[in-house]
Amino acid sequence: MSGSAPSPTLPRGHGGGRSAAPAASRWGPASASAFLLVAPAVATVLALFVYPVCTSLVSAFTSRQGQLGFDNFAKTFALYGGDIIFTLLIVLVSTALIAVLAAAIGGYLVLGRHPGAVAALKWLYRWPLFVPFIVAAQCMRSFLAKNGMFNNTLDALGLVDVGTLGGLLDWRGVIVTFVWKETPFVALLVAGAMAALDRSGIEAARNLGASGMRILCEIIVPQIAGVFTVGLVLAFVTMLSVLSVPLMISGGSPTMITVDMAFRVNSYSDYGVANALGVVSYLIAAAAGWAYIRRNLAEAAA
Amino acid sequence: MKRLGVIVAAACIAVVQLVAASASAQQPVTLNLATAGDQNMVDYVRDYLGPLFEKDHPGVTVKAVGTGPADAGSQKIMEKLEAEKANASWDMDVVVIHQKAAGEMVKDGLLAKYAADVPTDKLVTSPTAKTALGVDVDGYVMPMFLSQTAIAYNTAMVPDPPKTYADVVKWVAANPKKFGYNGIKGGMSGVGFVVGWIYANAPDPARLINGPYDPEVKKGWDKALAELAAFNKNVVLTPGNAGTMDMLNRGEIAMGPVWIDLFYDWQADGKIPPTIKLSLIGPGMPGQPMYYAVPAKAANAKLAEEFIALATSPKVQADGIVKRFNWYPGIDPEAVKAQLDAATWQKLFVDVTPDDLATKGKPFPIVPYFNDILESYERTVQ
Repeated sequence: MSGSAPSPTLPRGHGGGRSAAPAASRWGPASASAFLLVAPAVATVLALFVYPVCTSLVSAFTSRQGQLGFDNFAKTFALYGGDIIFTLLIVLVSTALIAVLAAAIGGYLVLGRHPGAVAALKWLYRWPLFVPFIVAAQCMRSFLAKNGMFNNTLDALGLVDVGTLGGLLDWRGVIVTFVWKETPFVALLVAGAMAALDRSGIEAARNLGASGMRILCEIIVPQIAGVFTVGLVLAFVTMLSVLSVPLMISGGSPTMITVDMAFRVNSYSDYGVANALGVVSYLIAAAAGWAYIRRNLAEAAA
Repeated sequence: MKRLGVIVAAACIAVVQLVAASASAQQPVTLNLATAGDQNMVDYVRDYLGPLFEKDHPGVTVKAVGTGPADAGSQKIMEKLEAEKANASWDMDVVVIHQKAAGEMVKDGLLAKYAADVPTDKLVTSPTAKTALGVDVDGYVMPMFLSQTAIAYNTAMVPDPPKTYADVVKWVAANPKKFGYNGIKGGMSGVGFVVGWIYANAPDPARLINGPYDPEVKKGWDKALAELAAFNKNVVLTPGNAGTMDMLNRGEIAMGPVWIDLFYDWQADGKIPPTIKLSLIGPGMPGQPMYYAVPAKAANAKLAEEFIALATSPKVQADGIVKRFNWYPGIDPEAVKAQLDAATWQKLFVDVTPDDLATKGKPFPIVPYFNDILESYERTVQ
């Protein structure tokens, strides 16, 4: 990470001025030992990431007969084009919902006036962080079912009649699970950044009579936009990679491309198309990564 | 003085090494077993077969590891053996795998031709011991059990159970969203249902099972697949084998395809009420064996063969396979029947009679047709 990565706990303006290498020894002996220091990490990344990515790319462009070509991609878009769009939509919608919820949680922690409620929220909102995706999917499977705990609770409270309800075990359940699982992660980053802000701006707005919502949207969120973007991009890429949730919650079609990748490998031993789907996934994640880097460069320039 | 010190040190090292070597010569042997399939497969070895084998073989520990359900689990075993193909000896002694992977592993030379060395081999009469989805595996595998799909239905919601695929279609039209299956991606029970649908609605199902393969055959399935797409509009698509059974348990669906052994397991655990029963519908639904196999370069091949001999003995097949886990035996049923009381034998054949099994229990199609069915489903039905 370069020195321009935003730190969630340090106030902006501090700690950003890390010194550059002494100009005199740009490529001297100090750099040699620096290379040696990073060599193990670089080697690990090369061996465990770059090499598999390269073999995956080669496999994606190699047809079943062994020639280079776009056969696998043709099949991918023919069979799974709808699933690709579905995946994008699910992850984008989930990210948007996470943004709203994380801002709301962070905002309440900063602006909330009931110390009891703030303490309770602070304690409660972090719990889903420690639950693995597959455990969350398993719990949601019975919670969101037609006769599951959610519907039966509403029924017991007299709000609905469980006989008329459908379950949420489809794309909606996938979104609910993703949002439930990833919101604490983004909220943690966002709450930290909000807490580190200079309170004078908030107090000034309060004195002028601005409502909590207005302070959140117009004063706080713009100042933590950097951390927000980082958190959302990380959440986006994480959700893109999840297999357990769509596999265990939604049975129908369309489904996320991770399920298709697994299906391709397990039912047909077809690594070519599975890797082609992987390339599509890399490209989508790369787009998110590009947003992340753009944000970093904007910070560095500022 | 210094020289004496060096000699003493060398002598000490030599003694320590000798002691260590003799100690390792007495170290216990571990028999490594990898099994695909649901958790009940791992439990079978861990809780029953392993301790039984260890009792007869002191100093041997049986270590069982599960690689996951369906062909995916078998795929993982095959990938592991492929990865260590160049090693002098491999780290799996016994593998329990599905038919598709067994055929591929025999073709790749990953399995040992061990069956002739096992005394219980002569009790194996099932044709699935000789061919796996069209691939000749004679001598490389022994069936562990035979598993069968069937339709589970809720007797409270379905007073008149379906006997054929046509009955199911009619029932679903009258009762939309009360039938559930998992498509082809979530689990093999759904795959079994789709294969049975093709057997029922496509011309020449016998060819799909026996071959020869002709890529033009799949064009004759268009009508059957279009009807399946229409059928799907009135059903619930569940998240997998367990998903179907969960929904049956919660009363959200009244009917769905299940694996008979998993169904009886869940019923024994209280996860499915006794009001749910089975019906094997015609013209047939597929079933499959799982195979015991020994990797070609297994470290403990002789021990592995003894383990499999125990596992396929009539007593173990009766107590373990039939009584404990409600599977159909992998060796000749007559050899096993003699070891069981009538009540236990009948339990397995209460809803699905031996006659049903004989007439409506079909094997899966040969691999190229199997792939064609799955891909055609992906293209037209989904």
